[in-house]
Amino acid sequence: MTAPLLETRGVWQRFGGLVANSDVSISVGAGEIVGLIGPNGAGKSTLFNLIAGVLPPTQGSIWFNGEDVTRLPAAERCRRGIARTFQVVKSFETMTVIDNVIVGALIRTTVMREARAKAHEVLEFCGLGARVDVLASQLIPSEKRRLEVARALATEPKLLLLDECLTGLTPLEAQSGVALVRKVRETGVTVLMVEHVMEIVMPLVDRAIVLNLGKVLVEGKPTDVVRDPEVISAYLGDRHAVGA
Amino acid sequence: MENFAHRRRRDLMIATALAALAALVPLVVKDVNVQNIMVLTLMYAALSQSWNILSGYCGQISLGHALYFGLGAYTTTLLFTKFGVLPWFGMVAGGTISAAIALALGYPTFRLRGHYFVIATIVIAEIGLLLFHNWDWAGAALGIDVPVRSDSWAKFQFTRSKLPYYYFALVFCCVAWLVTWRLENSKWGYWWRAVKDNPDAAESLGVVVFNSKMGAAAISAFMTAIGGAFYAQYVSYIDPESVMTFQFSLLMALPAVLGGIGTLWGPVLGAVILIPLTELTRNYLGGSGRGVDLILYGAVIVLISLARPEGLVGLFSRRPASKGVPQ
Repeated sequence: MTAPLLETRGVWQRFGGLVANSDVSISVGAGEIVGLIGPNGAGKSTLFNLIAGVLPPTQGSIWFNGEDVTRLPAAERCRRGIARTFQVVKSFETMTVIDNVIVGALIRTTVMREARAKAHEVLEFCGLGARVDVLASQLIPSEKRRLEVARALATEPKLLLLDECLTGLTPLEAQSGVALVRKVRETGVTVLMVEHVMEIVMPLVDRAIVLNLGKVLVEGKPTDVVRDPEVISAYLGDRHAVGA
Repeated sequence: MENFAHRRRRDLMIATALAALAALVPLVVKDVNVQNIMVLTLMYAALSQSWNILSGYCGQISLGHALYFGLGAYTTTLLFTKFGVLPWFGMVAGGTISAAIALALGYPTFRLRGHYFVIATIVIAEIGLLLFHNWDWAGAALGIDVPVRSDSWAKFQFTRSKLPYYYFALVFCCVAWLVTWRLENSKWGYWWRAVKDNPDAAESLGVVVFNSKMGAAAISAFMTAIGGAFYAQYVSYIDPESVMTFQFSLLMALPAVLGGIGTLWGPVLGAVILIPLTELTRNYLGGSGRGVDLILYGAVIVLISLARPEGLVGLFSRRPASKGVPQ
């Protein structure tokens, strides 16, 4: 097996007395779709933010593409090929859809014509081709999620981090979201997605990593993970695990 | 994509036509008072355009631009009266000093979120005002007279006619507009707007937020100082009260706010309405009406924020109200 694209080595994150991540070591191989799941407060978002570079871990290191990126700021990680979306969408509200995406494209080229062309291409890909000149503030929620993905893809990432991008959508919207994530992977982008709702992610991911109380609980094929007694007990409480 | 290029070309054409028109106006309008108002309008349009780069596009509201304006005025005047350096070089020196100070001010404050920056700009400008009030070498509260001998382009002083000043102000205004036009469709322009709308998202897309703010601050301060240098030459007498008070900071911000903050045409439109209004009320009311112009600004701003929060350019909005059906 080749070296993983992303690796966290013994990562700890403490917020004062609260330990959000303790000794988390995970790895994501190139071309995979990996789901990061777990109940509320499991430390998914914290780990996600550590990988994206929002804050440095208290302890441990993060390796991307064979390099130690632990101390690099978010913008520099984006340059190296890590792109992300936000759980609570953060569109540039006063800018048009195309301008939102151009911001992302400008990291790879400073020629405006090229950035604009790239943005058009990505928006077509994400199914927002008809909405390019609309203000981001006028998009409906599912479109805003797509815009987040489009903006991230415009930076030409190797690894795409999706933070609950399928949560809160109607079943139909979620389905087309799943199709989009598959399409993204087909273009050779590795995907690490945080998800809350198991039934959406499980059919989509190659591998699931379950976090609970800041630690890696189980890791493996989605079908195995959902049957794991420890996972069931983490999600539903000990009583339900007994029968498993 | 065609649409976009077309729009930019149209903006450029409108600007060229307006500039040509403005160049012809003094041939018809001979009244010195009116000419004076026109000079000030052009100057404030350019200043507001400069302010707009940092505060409108990049979203870092500054209420201390009077400092850069004053530094431009003082640098030029001091270099000329003490060392005989021609104002043209003084302008560049003033711009450079202002840009450096803007960077020094931004270095600690741009790392902070919230309203620290705007408070800091007010405080630093007031400190500047106090320093110049007490700095004997720089004329202290008495100010400095620029010795005017004869009309000269080299010394940029003219006694008989306001026209050279008018044309300089026009060029200044055009350059400020062009700089904005150019930056608007550049990496910087996009980065600034992204930083203004959402710094976290911007950072995640590779935007170096801190550097973007620093760049905007330096460009904005440099251009503002050029305006200050021009003003000093124009009135040929400066003291701290006449070039560095809070009122100047307001006068640079208001046209952009009125016309449309963070827009290409906002500052020009706002200045064309606001500055003549200010000057006329001052002329009519004289000393007894001190502060009335400020009351007027207040009223205008309240009206605009109620009726057209996006500024007057919203009236000419070229973007059709996009109420398209989501797919």
